[in-house]
Amino acid sequence: MKIGTIDVKVSNISIGVFVFFTLLLIIAAMMDTGIRPHLIWMIPSLFLLLVIPVALNYMSRSQYKDLEPTYEKEAKTVRVRLINESMIGKIVRIEGVVERVHFQFLNRPQYSVADRSGAISVKMFTTPPEDVKVKDIVEVYGQVIRRYMLTGEPVINCVIIRKIDRKP
Amino acid sequence: MTDKPDKLRNNRIYYLEALVPVLAFGSTLSGIALWEAGILSEIQYAAAGSFLASCLLAYLAWYRPRKDIVSLTTPLYGFIFLVTPIDYYQGILLQLFYAAGLTTLVIRLHFRFGAGADDRSHGRKELAATPLRTYVESTRDVLAGLEPAGGRNASMAFLYFAEGEYRKAADVSHAGACHEGTPEPLVRAFGILRQHAELLEKNLPRPVTYQKFLPADAALMAKPLPAADQPDREFDTMMDNALLLLYSAAWHASEADRPILIASQPFANKLLEA
Repeated sequence: MKIGTIDVKVSNISIGVFVFFTLLLIIAAMMDTGIRPHLIWMIPSLFLLLVIPVALNYMSRSQYKDLEPTYEKEAKTVRVRLINESMIGKIVRIEGVVERVHFQFLNRPQYSVADRSGAISVKMFTTPPEDVKVKDIVEVYGQVIRRYMLTGEPVINCVIIRKIDRKP
Repeated sequence: MTDKPDKLRNNRIYYLEALVPVLAFGSTLSGIALWEAGILSEIQYAAAGSFLASCLLAYLAWYRPRKDIVSLTTPLYGFIFLVTPIDYYQGILLQLFYAAGLTTLVIRLHFRFGAGADDRSHGRKELAATPLRTYVESTRDVLAGLEPAGGRNASMAFLYFAEGEYRKAADVSHAGACHEGTPEPLVRAFGILRQHAELLEKNLPRPVTYQKFLPADAALMAKPLPAADQPDREFDTMMDNALLLLYSAAWHASEADRPILIASQPFANKLLEA
């Protein structure tokens, strides 16, 4: 679904929640007539279960889109193995192959991207415009952060992940 | 050399850890006694000790290399118990449960997050007992004669490289290589690092011919070279060896940089173990 120039995606879990409560409401309304007068606020509430995730996704996507030019300008290309604690806060660019993808169903994908020198975790807090899968060759722009904010190994807080043709 | 201060510091940590349950339970028990004596009018104030115990727990969690977020947030609850009016029996029960929770957390902190405190925060002056320290010690004799200025160049080259400041790392490496009196293996290390830093700065691949250490430098190499038919790995290993040799040189010749070199240990360890 496109709103303006932003491609908005609803996570599977949001759709699942919406479907679950819709079915629950239909069954309850069929079995208990006392519920029917409340449908006037229950049905709009049900749609809010879809509208709120869409609005949140739109807001995060548009913010990421605004950040993209800054990251493309400032990022320094580095090798994965050379990313370390001293680089915390730096904007970097890496190229590599996607080895694993997690949490896509939550719209918070986490990738493991590897180049010739090593692998690193790449966290994204919104959906990327492209559907990135395992074995895709990608370039990643993001900031080096600690995995758990204050502690943990360095990971990349990704702002841009896009497929490229050449080998890393 | 550092055993005695370490032991003293660990003892201090054990005492502080033991103080958490003492404060938490002691405060509630004192509160009961004071209530019975008619001195304490509101039982919520007996939670003052639990609040202090939670602050102490948060302090102990903060000064560890691995931070325990659960322990760090306990003062928030301690403060709520202290300021919220509550009935006598419910208050006592809540405070005792909270004290038991704090005790469990301090035990968990001790065993799961280590007994030692954060190296950087306590100004340690020695490297941790890792293969890196063994390597640094093994190069002491060769690098002992290096001037502090040479050590400073080695330190800056390593640190700029670790921070991803490749242009600066290349410039400092050039200065280091040109500095009079720098031992030959170190000149080669500076040269190798400069070449790698310049390539990384321009995002260029491995050239066909590249700078290498000499066979005579083998005793100073932290990592053995791979087989000759693996030029990519050899190229990377040359860089790792150059960085580790510069780290070692910086450690021996630039004492003022030791705190920051200690902070950069994880990167040096990563290079050594890769």
